[in-house]
Amino acid sequence: MTLINGHYIAGVLALTAVLVLAVVMAGVSPVLGSTWLLATAAGFTLQRSRFCFASAFRDLYLFGSGRTMKAILLGLAVATVGFTIIMYDKIPNPSYGYLPDGAHILPFGVSTAVGGLLFGFGMVISGGCISGSLYRMAEGYLGSWVTIIGVLVGLAFLSHTWNWWWNTIIIHEPRAWLPNIGNIGYAGAVVLTLIGLFSIFLLVVWWESREGLSLPNLPSNYTEDDTVTQKLHNLWKMVFVNGWPAATGGVILGVIITFMYMDSMPLGVTGELSRLSGKVLMSIGLPHPHLLGMSDLGGCSAEESQGFFSHTFAMTGGVLAGSFVAALFAREFKFRRPPSATRYIQSFAGGTIMGYGAGLAIGCTIGAFFDSIASLSLSGWLFGIAIAGGAFFGVQAIKRIP
Amino acid sequence: MLLDVRGEICPYPMMKAVDAMKKLKGKGEAIEVLTDHSPCLETIPMQANKLKWTVAIEEVGSPEWQITLTPPQS
Repeated sequence: MTLINGHYIAGVLALTAVLVLAVVMAGVSPVLGSTWLLATAAGFTLQRSRFCFASAFRDLYLFGSGRTMKAILLGLAVATVGFTIIMYDKIPNPSYGYLPDGAHILPFGVSTAVGGLLFGFGMVISGGCISGSLYRMAEGYLGSWVTIIGVLVGLAFLSHTWNWWWNTIIIHEPRAWLPNIGNIGYAGAVVLTLIGLFSIFLLVVWWESREGLSLPNLPSNYTEDDTVTQKLHNLWKMVFVNGWPAATGGVILGVIITFMYMDSMPLGVTGELSRLSGKVLMSIGLPHPHLLGMSDLGGCSAEESQGFFSHTFAMTGGVLAGSFVAALFAREFKFRRPPSATRYIQSFAGGTIMGYGAGLAIGCTIGAFFDSIASLSLSGWLFGIAIAGGAFFGVQAIKRIP
Repeated sequence: MLLDVRGEICPYPMMKAVDAMKKLKGKGEAIEVLTDHSPCLETIPMQANKLKWTVAIEEVGSPEWQITLTPPQS
C-alpha cells in the first residue's frame, strides 16, 4: 500500500475540510457542530457498510436475499431502545397525550401508504433511496446526481399539491403513537415493537431459506499478520478499505441516530432537499404556497429559511461529506457514467416519483421509516410495508428494462 | 466471455451476470465480469454460489474489479 496516492491525499484534505467546517458551524451554534459531525459519521457508516435501503427491499424479491434487511432490523432494535430512553426523559407519562418533541411521529393513514408506495417504486427504478443516492453521489455516480435532481423535482410537485393532501386527507389522520394507544405505555410499546421486528426477522430468514442462498467463503484478503506494521495495515484495511458487514453498519447507524436525537433531533436527509427545492421554485418564479400544517408535523419537513448553515444542511451535507471521505480512503471514488441514456431517464423518473413520496410521507427511508419506527410511531410501520409494496412493483418494472 | 458492466449500478450487474451464467449453462465457458460497483463483490458471488459456479475476484484498478466465474464441472 502506498500512501502517496491521489485518493489518500484527497481523503486527508476532505477530512480536514470536514473538521474545519465542524469548528465553523459550532461557532454559529454548538448543536450545528455536533449534528454535522454525527451526520458525517452516519455518511461514513453508510458508505463503508454499503448500506442501501433500496436493495434491502428489492433484493428480497429479486434474489431472495435478506442480508441488508436483517441489518436494518438489527439497527432498528438498537435505535428503538435508545429513542425510548430519550422520549421517556422528555415525556415520562405518555398517557397525557403529549408527543415528545423531535420524535418522528407522523400522520398515519392514506397519505403514509401512498407516500410509501411511490417511494418504494421510485427507489427501485432509480437504483437507490434518498440516503443511498446521496452517498453514491459522493462516490462519483453521475446517475445518482440525476436521481437527486429528480427528487428535488418530485418535492417541488409535492409542495404545490400539499395543501390539497392536507385539507382532504392528512388533517384527518392521527399521529398514532404506540405508548398512548390502549394505555400500554413505554414498556408495552417497546416490547411490541421488538416483537414486531423479531417476527419480521424470522420471516426474512424463512424467505431466504426458500431461495437457498448463501455466501461462499471468499479467499481472505489478509495474508500476513505477524509484525506490528502488518497488524496496523490489516486494521486499516478492515476499517477504511474493505466493506463492513451490513449488520455492523446497521448497529452503528442505530447508535449514531440515537446520539443525534439525544443531542437535538434524529437524522433526516429530506428536509434540506425540500428547502432546496423550495428555493429553486422561488428563484424561477413558481414559489409554493404556504404549506398548511407542515410546521407542526416535525419529521423531515423543510425548515423555514435560516442562514446557510441550517440544521437540515448539517444533516444532509454531513452525510454527503462523510461518505465522500469514506469513498476516498477506500479508493472507491470514481466518476461513473451510466452506460446508456435509459439509465439517466430511470434515475430521473425514479427520483421524481420517490421525491413526491418522500414529501408526502414527510421523510425517506431514514426519516419516515427508520426514525419513525424507533419513535414507537405506527406511521413507520405503515410506511415500511407500503415501501415493500412499491418495491415489488418496481422490481417487476426493472425486470422489463434491459 | 467478457461482461463489461462498468457504470452500471445495482441490480443490473448482478442481473446481467445471472443471465450470462444461465445462458452459458453446460457450455463450460467462464465469464469475466468487469465492474466498478463494489456491492457486486458480495451479490455476484452469492448468486454464482447458488448456481454452483466458482468465483475469483481480482482488483484490477481503483475502484475496478474483475470477477471470474467458472462453471461447475459436470
